[in-house]
Amino acid sequence: MKLARIIAGTILLLAAAGALGARYLAPAGYEQQFRESLDAPPSAQHLLGTDDLGRDRLARLLFGTRISLLLAPLAAAIATALAAFIGGIAGYFGGWVERCTLLIVDLFLAIPWLFLLITVRAVLPLNLSPESSVAITFLLLGFLGWAASARVVCAGTRDLMQSEFAWLARAAGFSGFKFLRVHLLPNLRGTLLAQFWISVPVFIIAEANLGAMGLGVSEPLPSLGSLVGELQNAVVLHPHPWQFVPLIVLVVVISCFQTLMNKFEVRA
Amino acid sequence: MWKKVFLALFRIAAIMLLAGFLGGTLIRVAPGFAFDERQLNSSLSAQSIQAIRQARLADADILHYYVRYLGAFTHGDMGMSQTLNQPVRDLLRDRLPATLRNLAWAVGLAWVLGLALAAASQLTGSRVMTFIGEGLSGTFISTPAAVLALVFLLLRFPPQFAPALLVFPKIYRYCHNLLRQSYALPHVLTARARGASGLRVLIWHVLPTMLPQVLALFGVSVSLALTALLPIEVICDVAGIGQLAWQAAEGRDLTLLVGLTLVVTLLSVSANTFSDLARETLLRGKA
Amino acid sequence: MKRILPVWAACLVAASLLPQTHPAQSGGELRLCIFSEPVTFHPLLADEISSETVRYLTAGVLLRVDRVTQKPEPGLASSWKVLDGGKRIHFSLRSGLRFSDGTPFSASDVAYTVQQLMDPALHSPTGDAFRSSSAQVLTRVVSPTEIDLMFSAPVAGLADLFDTVAILSAQSPQKEMAVLGPFYVAEHKAGAYILLKRNPYYWKKDQAGRQLPYLDSVRLDIQANDEIQALRYSRGEIHMINKVAPGVYDKLAGDGVAVQDAGVTTDTEQIWFNQSPTAPIPDYKRAWFASANFRRAVSEAINRADVARIAFHQHASPAIGVVSPANRFWFNSKLKPHPYDPASALHRLQEAGFRMDNGVLRDNGGHEVEFSIIGKAGDEARQQTAALIQQDLKKIGMKVNIVPLDMHAVIERITGTFNYEACILGLTNATLDPNTQMNIWLSSAEMHQWNPQQKSPATSWEAEIDHLMRALASSADDHKRKQYWDRVQEIAWEQEPFIYLVNKHALVAIAPTVKNAQPSALFPQTFWNVEQLSLTH
Repeated sequence: MKLARIIAGTILLLAAAGALGARYLAPAGYEQQFRESLDAPPSAQHLLGTDDLGRDRLARLLFGTRISLLLAPLAAAIATALAAFIGGIAGYFGGWVERCTLLIVDLFLAIPWLFLLITVRAVLPLNLSPESSVAITFLLLGFLGWAASARVVCAGTRDLMQSEFAWLARAAGFSGFKFLRVHLLPNLRGTLLAQFWISVPVFIIAEANLGAMGLGVSEPLPSLGSLVGELQNAVVLHPHPWQFVPLIVLVVVISCFQTLMNKFEVRA
Repeated sequence: MWKKVFLALFRIAAIMLLAGFLGGTLIRVAPGFAFDERQLNSSLSAQSIQAIRQARLADADILHYYVRYLGAFTHGDMGMSQTLNQPVRDLLRDRLPATLRNLAWAVGLAWVLGLALAAASQLTGSRVMTFIGEGLSGTFISTPAAVLALVFLLLRFPPQFAPALLVFPKIYRYCHNLLRQSYALPHVLTARARGASGLRVLIWHVLPTMLPQVLALFGVSVSLALTALLPIEVICDVAGIGQLAWQAAEGRDLTLLVGLTLVVTLLSVSANTFSDLARETLLRGKA
Repeated sequence: MKRILPVWAACLVAASLLPQTHPAQSGGELRLCIFSEPVTFHPLLADEISSETVRYLTAGVLLRVDRVTQKPEPGLASSWKVLDGGKRIHFSLRSGLRFSDGTPFSASDVAYTVQQLMDPALHSPTGDAFRSSSAQVLTRVVSPTEIDLMFSAPVAGLADLFDTVAILSAQSPQKEMAVLGPFYVAEHKAGAYILLKRNPYYWKKDQAGRQLPYLDSVRLDIQANDEIQALRYSRGEIHMINKVAPGVYDKLAGDGVAVQDAGVTTDTEQIWFNQSPTAPIPDYKRAWFASANFRRAVSEAINRADVARIAFHQHASPAIGVVSPANRFWFNSKLKPHPYDPASALHRLQEAGFRMDNGVLRDNGGHEVEFSIIGKAGDEARQQTAALIQQDLKKIGMKVNIVPLDMHAVIERITGTFNYEACILGLTNATLDPNTQMNIWLSSAEMHQWNPQQKSPATSWEAEIDHLMRALASSADDHKRKQYWDRVQEIAWEQEPFIYLVNKHALVAIAPTVKNAQPSALFPQTFWNVEQLSLTH
């Protein structure tokens, strides 16, 4: 496992370096259109080929990775924190607090939030920069994506409240926020980290889907989600191996993070 | 027991009503509600365009609309779809069975796959098994539903199995961590030290510990499977409620959207309520 | 006997040397897809592609425009005469015809249909098209097979108008479901398919006297996804695709699957700037958009050839103006394409008071030239077009933000709130006659998109267009009307309220098993002669 963590860490460092050094590794930039080289295969000039508009795929991958891997974990952290807080409070107090909270959670899961997102786009200025648009999108995903795991956190908290150590802690005088922070949350680490790691790729893909509402990235800025979303056409029309690189990068990066964090997910 | 069931049903009905109303409000407030693609038809006169707008604004007052809707709903009338020109009740009756079947498949397969991979990884202690589990779950959670649906179509696989591949990573992740946590508990360690077999430890000592959280996850997995299923139904042309939902959202069909919200709420809240009741029964039994 | 055999053999050889007409076999089910569930089966209310497809396949019309020659052909009417300077039309109807349920057809059914059509409460798009030309339409049934239609004003473009008027039965208990077309709606599974079966009473026969249509049925599967339609076509599950997306076309062609580029259509893709005085945009931007030099500069900076080549995979042609060259009679052939000339574009901008400042274009108030273009999300070709335009305009220092929105949000902005700066959309021209564009070019009209519903024309050129359109609508002389419409095209070319980008090509897919297909650039591209189509087994 130690070797696995070293390899994972190295890959992540390379990915981070690549994303941060995108401007130097791909000087053409993500928006320049080489209109005489459309959908070109990999070459010395374009290591991953070009897309339908003649844009360098490697440049778009590096810049897209930077944006998505910066913002998606932030959104996932927000969703996880909200799930921990709301689910934890509900599980801790139990009774009518738990029942009301779960009612709100179920309601939250049932409402078609799509229309809220459309409304948000309507309120935002049309000349919003692509960077601001994608940041707002991820923020929204974070604030809307907590409900499913809040239920699981609540169940886990209720379970922990019945455990021996919890009884002992309460007998020792721990209560309220201190009890939550010192005893409950560490034991919910596994659940919370699982939620976090699931949310990162889900939010990356969701951001691309929200492009249909005018949210997410807008031309010419790429995101990892939008690059993976391009596979939809590629799969049927013209599947080339290099078009799957964004998906591979996403899977590898997420897996590497999970390998690194495995050590912290469960503690005896 | 009956009191609990009655309260659960009341809870479901209350959430459905609230979800329908809030969903209808969001739809009403969203931009473009009073507008229709027909307004771009240059053949239409100004009066016709005005009539189209008035028809859409007839439902503008969401409170009155919802009161009327509920009144008709109690008589089994769910209104008329503006985009499809058919009674919503008939549309749902025709489409719901397909979605329910696919949902059952999706949830069932997702749990079998997720639990099997997590259990295999824990039981064998094999790093290869863990690597396979992590790799598969990482791959499928990073794949857009549309891409997976198209791959299934290309390979002529039944499309109803695609949502299972999108949901199982979440089940795998949670179950994997829960298993690891449970295997580290004192009573499980004791059982293993006393020579209990792997399977016996899993079934008699680990699973009962995990069960409350697994039941909570079950309820949530139904919502997740439904969310994954709907776009797949659209792409794979399955005559389920996914297609209806897509057309209704595109056309801002308030009546159809409210009907769909009620149905989706019923499904997901019922699953969550069932898992809550099961958990409570289990915890009471333990106590 | 010895003499007979060589004679027979000679006859057989001679017969084999004659030009082969496709041996039309009866039977078979033609399968194709429609994009969505039809909103209505009422033929007078059909307003979107799916409903219009069903209408085309089931409706009996008085006359039909031949999609290849673009000329009207007799339908239910064996002949017609335009009289009184275009204010009266006399139809001689075919006798002995029946609707699909056996109800007899007569002139009173035509009168009933016109009455329904002209009912303002029905809000029929076809009815509105009639009403835009003539406020009132009266009918006089001369005999069971003769009818006069009288208009309050001369009506032009009759062929286009009557091509879409499906004759309804005044007596049939099936109401609008009783039809006179080649097929009738037999089965409808919501969300899945519509099955049309051969109308046993269809009036048309082939040259050999055989009852048409040759096909037993037509099945319309509901399929929204272009890629999946292509997949099903290449697997032989469907026989035709009426509208192939450019990327899909290249894939199918590359795989050796039968596809065809049927040529330029009458559809246009365009962008326009918001010139509405009530638009919530800064005054300096409104001033830019109102400047013809600004619009012409943007037009000259856009590389239309690249848009056609890249976004439409060479299956589009750079647009010249309002009318596509596919509309042979009405196209103003004197107009030339706008050149791609960024240097000229910059020169025009300088004349209008703009200047370049370190690669950024600024107006005379020092404002950076930046604006947004809204458009419908999900249309890949249009999104690529917008991305190409964004890069083209960057070369002359303009910053363009592309904002894809869902369609309802776009419509709200361009017709309701006017909260937008520029918009990219396409126009589908289902008919050839310019009368149908009255609601776009009159300055008081709802769809005068850059500045709708003006109380009086805001500019002299819009006033001139108003005058020309009214003259065009009130004349029945096609040559005079052509002169008026040519002048409208010239003004639109000079002022560019719409910056026309490309005219798309009609890309179709027709399986080799389908015989007698003659794809056209006009809707419905593949099955406009459905009664003559047959399937080889």
